[in-house]
Amino acid sequence: MAISGDLKAFGTFASYHPKHPLRPALSSSKVQLGRFLNRGSNDLRITPKWPHMEPPSSGTAQNDHRCFGIGGSKLSSATISQDAEGFLLNAINMNFFDRLSLAWRILFPTRTARRKSNARIAKQRLKMILFSDRCAVSDEARQKIVRNIIESLSEFVEIESQDKVQLNVSTDPDLGMVYSVTVPVRRVKPEYQDSEEDYRGKITGITYKDTGETSETVDVTFDFFIPNEN
Amino acid sequence: MAAPLPSIPRALSSPHSILPSPVLLRPQSLPLHRRQTPGSAVSAAFQWNRKPQLAGETPRVVVVTSGKGGVGKTTTTANIGISLARFGFYVVAVDADAGLRNLDLLLGLENRVNYTAVEVLNGDCRLDQALVRDRRYPSLELLCISKPRSKLPLGFGAKALTWVVDALRSRPSSAPQFVLIDCPAGIDAGFITAIAPANEAVLVTTPDITALRDADRVTGLLECDGIRDIKMIVNRVRTDLIRGEDMMSVLDVQEMLGLALLGVIPEDSEVIKSTNRGYPLVLNKPPTVAGLAFEQAAWRLVEQDTMTAVMVEEEPKKKGFFSFFGG
Repeated sequence: MAISGDLKAFGTFASYHPKHPLRPALSSSKVQLGRFLNRGSNDLRITPKWPHMEPPSSGTAQNDHRCFGIGGSKLSSATISQDAEGFLLNAINMNFFDRLSLAWRILFPTRTARRKSNARIAKQRLKMILFSDRCAVSDEARQKIVRNIIESLSEFVEIESQDKVQLNVSTDPDLGMVYSVTVPVRRVKPEYQDSEEDYRGKITGITYKDTGETSETVDVTFDFFIPNEN
Repeated sequence: MAAPLPSIPRALSSPHSILPSPVLLRPQSLPLHRRQTPGSAVSAAFQWNRKPQLAGETPRVVVVTSGKGGVGKTTTTANIGISLARFGFYVVAVDADAGLRNLDLLLGLENRVNYTAVEVLNGDCRLDQALVRDRRYPSLELLCISKPRSKLPLGFGAKALTWVVDALRSRPSSAPQFVLIDCPAGIDAGFITAIAPANEAVLVTTPDITALRDADRVTGLLECDGIRDIKMIVNRVRTDLIRGEDMMSVLDVQEMLGLALLGVIPEDSEVIKSTNRGYPLVLNKPPTVAGLAFEQAAWRLVEQDTMTAVMVEEEPKKKGFFSFFGG
């Protein structure tokens, strides 16, 4: 994964903008890059950002650091050297003190401890624990839930085996508590299956016989579907 | 009502509470008979004996609870009780912890407790003999449930406490306007006893994860019991830790618990000192930060007001020696 390693480094360098506050720009670009790299190539996300690749090679000082948050597999080595050129061109344009501080930051990277601060960890833990405390359900309730669900579903489907029905309680970061009941089903009860009666009267075939220009008639045959009475 | 209120609380009051009278803002609209020398016009604009407007039906029975022990229930009860007495309301503070008694220590009245509610129920004494009146603020009275040296006080349940509160309510002279019940820690029988007569609750919590989890559980229990009006006081807040992102901020706490905020009390070493002396914190002159916060919380409790938490500003980055490197 040499390419991805270099991309990370380039992301860090290229996000430097002499005018922006430095620390937040660095951390945010690192996070963005990390996310993209972990997802591999995600074409839908890459293509809108692709046009932004042009500005760095033109060597202007206005770098959009977001353009470097692109997944690894799509970029070729040619583009990487383009980035390097762009970066070097920008570096040459900086004055001495800007380059000195850039070097300082590369040699002594600052701790990005904001993401993992104690308060955030505590908040995350508290969220999870509050969800599970608030929605904790007793064993008796679980069995009743399962029994009620089996009863309701048995009206429509034939359940494979009552013992295999499971209730799972899990936490999802977006939804919170998620209750899922897994029910193995053998088949749908006959009265709820797609019945053939729905197709009664539907046309299944058309034959069209042209008897020629001489007679001014056309023979058309329609075949209708009649479900056979079993 | 002896001491005039300092005007500082007005200036520091939360952005949420509305300044009730325009007198504070426009001195020239003072009525004629109040016109004084121009030098004292500004000081006359501050009304020195402002009282909060009592909202809700009297008597207001408020239980101060928390779930987790040691977060500051008794301190809150004592200080808010004294603040209310100073505003001029009749307050009865009840220490509903039948086994371990602490409210009398905080108010400095431990030597004067002779009779307790258990003896009233047994018929050994009258109710007003069991009420200890504070010498400094006579409108505050303390009622303890039982003597700590007695054996397990069986038989003091929810019905008994409800009877006591009703007896207080139906006193012909000086029926209290506020009954503050100091709840014991935990969620067992003592807690259930204490919340039985209450209509409102003040939940005291600190911004750490253990206290918040217990506070959430207690909120659920209070709502089950029918107490819907629950307000929160966040105690022992250290703004330096919040700024350094080591402690959850009050905004986070409000978001997690979803309760209205009555007050935010910063961590103050004066609390320990005042407990040791038996002199409630809010009476300190000059007032301390925590004392002011308690007084504002009492004001909001009277007016049934709430506050909104604000974000602690990030401290400006310190300019070190290598600051020209941008570090």
